[in-house]
Formats: sequence, C-alpha cells, structure tokens
Amino acid sequence: MKESLALSEDQRDCLQEVVNVAMGQAGDSLARFLEVFINLSVPRIRLVARDELNRELEAMVGGPSTRVSGVTQGFYQMDNGRGIRGEAIVVFTDSSFKELADLLAYDGEVGADAEKELLLDVTNILNGACLHGIGVQMEAELGFSPPTILGQHVRVSGLLENQKVNWDHALLVEISYTLEDRSFSCTMFLLMPGESIVVVKAALDRLLEEL
Amino acid sequence: MSDFAASHGLLEFIVDRINVGVFIVDQNLEVKLWNKFMAANSGVNEQQVVGKKLFDCFPDLPQRWFAKKVSSVFMLKSFAFTSWEQRPYLFPFRHNRPVTGGMEFMCQDLTLMPIKGEDGEVEKVCIVLFDVTDTAIYRSMHQAAMKKLEMVSRVDGLTQLFNRSHWQSRLSEEFSRAGRYQAPLTLIMFDLDHFKSVNDTHGHLGGDAVLVQVAELIRSALRDSDIAGRYGGEEFGIILPSTPMDGAKVVAERLRASIESSPVPFEKIQIPVTASLGIAQFDAGIKDVEEFIAHADAALYDAKERGRNRVVIHERA
Repeated sequence: MKESLALSEDQRDCLQEVVNVAMGQAGDSLARFLEVFINLSVPRIRLVARDELNRELEAMVGGPSTRVSGVTQGFYQMDNGRGIRGEAIVVFTDSSFKELADLLAYDGEVGADAEKELLLDVTNILNGACLHGIGVQMEAELGFSPPTILGQHVRVSGLLENQKVNWDHALLVEISYTLEDRSFSCTMFLLMPGESIVVVKAALDRLLEEL
Repeated sequence: MSDFAASHGLLEFIVDRINVGVFIVDQNLEVKLWNKFMAANSGVNEQQVVGKKLFDCFPDLPQRWFAKKVSSVFMLKSFAFTSWEQRPYLFPFRHNRPVTGGMEFMCQDLTLMPIKGEDGEVEKVCIVLFDVTDTAIYRSMHQAAMKKLEMVSRVDGLTQLFNRSHWQSRLSEEFSRAGRYQAPLTLIMFDLDHFKSVNDTHGHLGGDAVLVQVAELIRSALRDSDIAGRYGGEEFGIILPSTPMDGAKVVAERLRASIESSPVPFEKIQIPVTASLGIAQFDAGIKDVEEFIAHADAALYDAKERGRNRVVIHERA
C-alpha cells in the first residue's frame, strides 16, 4: 500500500514547487492584509502512517508536553467528487494573541471568545490563501468547510486524541509562518489521506508532463 | 446540473425563498441582493435596502468587525467563515424557538463567498447566514450536563462537601503553591468523637443525619477561600490557603464550639456530637502532601488522647 502511495522524486520536487508558489502567494496576501512582513519556512513534505502523526506533530512543536491550540478545516475539490480531499490543521504555540488581535482589528479585550475567533480567522486566512494557490496550480477548484477548534492550550499529545481516524497513510505538508518583529508563529499541516494521495500524484504527473 | 438545466428564473426563486439568509455586498458595503429570509427576519425589505449602504440601514451592526471580514474576502479572494460560538449573531434576529430556546436572538453562522469577475478580481461578496439556534441550544444543554457530571464526580453525595479525591488534588495544588510563593498554608484534619457508637445507638440514618449537619456547620464556619472535604467515614479535612496558624486556630476553635453546641435532632431526640481537631502548618521542610496530612493527623490523634472535643496543634519534633 505504502509503496503505491509514495511520491517519486519528480513528484515530490513538483509538489514542493507548487507549495512554494502557493505559500508565496498566501504570504503576500497575508502580509498585505495584516500589514506586517511574513516569514515562511521551506515546506516539508512526507508520507506519514496513522500512528506516526502524533509523534510528527510533537516533534514539530518541541515535545509532547508543549501547550498548543489547534484548528482544523476540511477542504475538498468542488469540481470532482473523487478529487483532492483533506484537512488543514493549524497549530499555534506560545501565542501572544493580543498583538494578533490588534492586527486583525478586534475591539476590546481578548477574552476566551475573542481568542477562539482569532484562531479561526487566522486559520481560515492561511488555509484559504495557501490552498487556493495550490488548487489553481493543480487545476482543482477547492471548497472549504468552516474551521473547527480541536483544542485550546492543551498538550500537543492530546490535540488529536479524540479524533476518529480512518486512514492508514497520509501525505503531510508542513509550513511554518512567523510574523516579523512579532512574537507570533504557527505551523500549518496539510493532511491528505489515502485515495487523495493518488489524485494528487496524478495531478502532479500532469503538471510534470506540461513542463 | 447537466441533465436539468435550471432556468435563471428558477435559480432566482431558490435563492430568494431558501430558508437561509443570502445577501450580497460590494466593496463599499452597498447591498446588491437581499433575499426573503433576510427581509422577513430584519423587517427591512429588498426595496428598502438594495442600493444602500448596509451600515446606513443597520447602524447597530458590529461595523469594524464585519467590514474587516468582508475586506479579507476581497483581499484574499477566498471564503471566510464566522461561528456563533465566537459571536452569537450579526443581525439581532428573533428566532423560531422563542418559548423553549432560552436564547435572546437567533444564533448565526456566516459564510462569506467571493464573487469574482472575468479578470479574477473579487467584485462582490455573497454572505450566507445560517440559523444555528438549535445547535446552540443543544450545545448549552450539553454543557450544562457536563457541568453537572463534573460536580457529581467532585462532590460527596451525602454531605455535599468535596469528595476525598477532589479534595486531595486541591490540597496538592495549594501545597505546591505554598512552596512556590512561600505563602502560609494550614490544614485542619478532624474526626467526630465516638461516631461508631452514634451509628450503633441510632442506626446509620442517625449517623447520616449527624454527618449532614456537621457538613452544614463546616460550611458556615468557613471563609470563601477555605476548601473542605469529606476525607473518610467521619473524618473531614479543611485546607486554609494564605492562613497562618493563628487564623487556623480561630477557625478550628469556632468549628469545634459550634459542633458541640449543636446537637443533631433525629427522631424526636437530640444526638450530642463533639469533634477532635488537629492543625498542621506548612513549612518548606515538609516533603510532600502525605507528610503534611500525617502532621495534622498526628495532632488529631493527640486531641483524642487528651480527652477529645479539643483542638491540638502539631508541634515539629
């Protein structure tokens, strides 16, 4: 199973390039929207097994006991019912939300509710901008479900605890965003399970042929 | 829609009559479309609002917030969402559960969709407003049930004081806080005198009546910050945060006196009750919670030895 899902070197390079371009566009929109400069990491792409996912998340945020807030948002290909499908999870560590609230023009104090809204907004902006860019390049029109909070200020090891998982392997794309001169950073994980990987691979092959 | 090519008129009918709010604004927040749902709920019809600025027609909307949401769609060219959980509503609409709902206004989820022109730029934004009042009602029922469950798991059913496990976890918290901030912390452990003979003479119902009344006396003797729990059968523990020994002595003596002077009425008789109390004071030399409890227990044992119905302070060896 895993062999058939694994990306070839060409496919991986191609996806890396697609994500790079999308991130750039997303970063640009975001920077204009928030009026701050945004630093982006080089995206990391790999195939993960179900039981590795938690460890991957833990490693990326600095250990299982790191406190995080996480939001997930589903995305799907609107012009093809069997097309790309997945979830974009954004994980926020050590977040100073006050600054972000200021950037996003929130009125008043950042209470628990405002913090939730901020998490949802930032997730939606990041996902919308980045996935839109990926979709355009892969010639897939993507739709989104509303974002949902997985947990606030919980140990990262517990973030996905209660989530039902019905896939064996998923394609994981990891992107980190930081705002220049601001103590805010977050990491976005695009997860595309099972069948979706096959679709992505086919789309990458088409792109490669065009080159 | 390949087999059934819907006519423009049919689509218009659906958008207008569907039971969700649909409206469209341009970059200046001028309203371009306003469906029946919006008209019926806002009391402002299509003719009154289309072609006008949204905020002119509805000056009480959260303007800064909503304008920013809409502008994010123009700028990022992608969908935006808002949830009732963060902001219960955009428009103060009445909802359809006015009797049983327990909510003042219709809870609303919004989806903001970009409408793009041929050049790919966003020309307008379509806002879809969902009535999620039912979801909100179920959520609040769920939360109330969870809260009750949490209560049940923390509280001793008979006395309504904290149960042993919750009380001990609170003691652990206070113990480590006292260690961190060098704040005073005292602990009272106490036990009802000759409780076994109360049970033997008056039966378990008599014993229960005694425990219930003692719990009531504990509650009235304590301050808000004190934490009382039922530690065992007839043994109780009281945590006194930020309280030095002098203050703990006052609390303990007051409690002892009130228990002694309040015999418990049971089946036409009065059951006399007294208690023996031991107090221990936190200091950095105490290595853990168990040792802290053992100190208070030792003082309690002393109180029993010296004739019961008294307060004894644990003296460090």
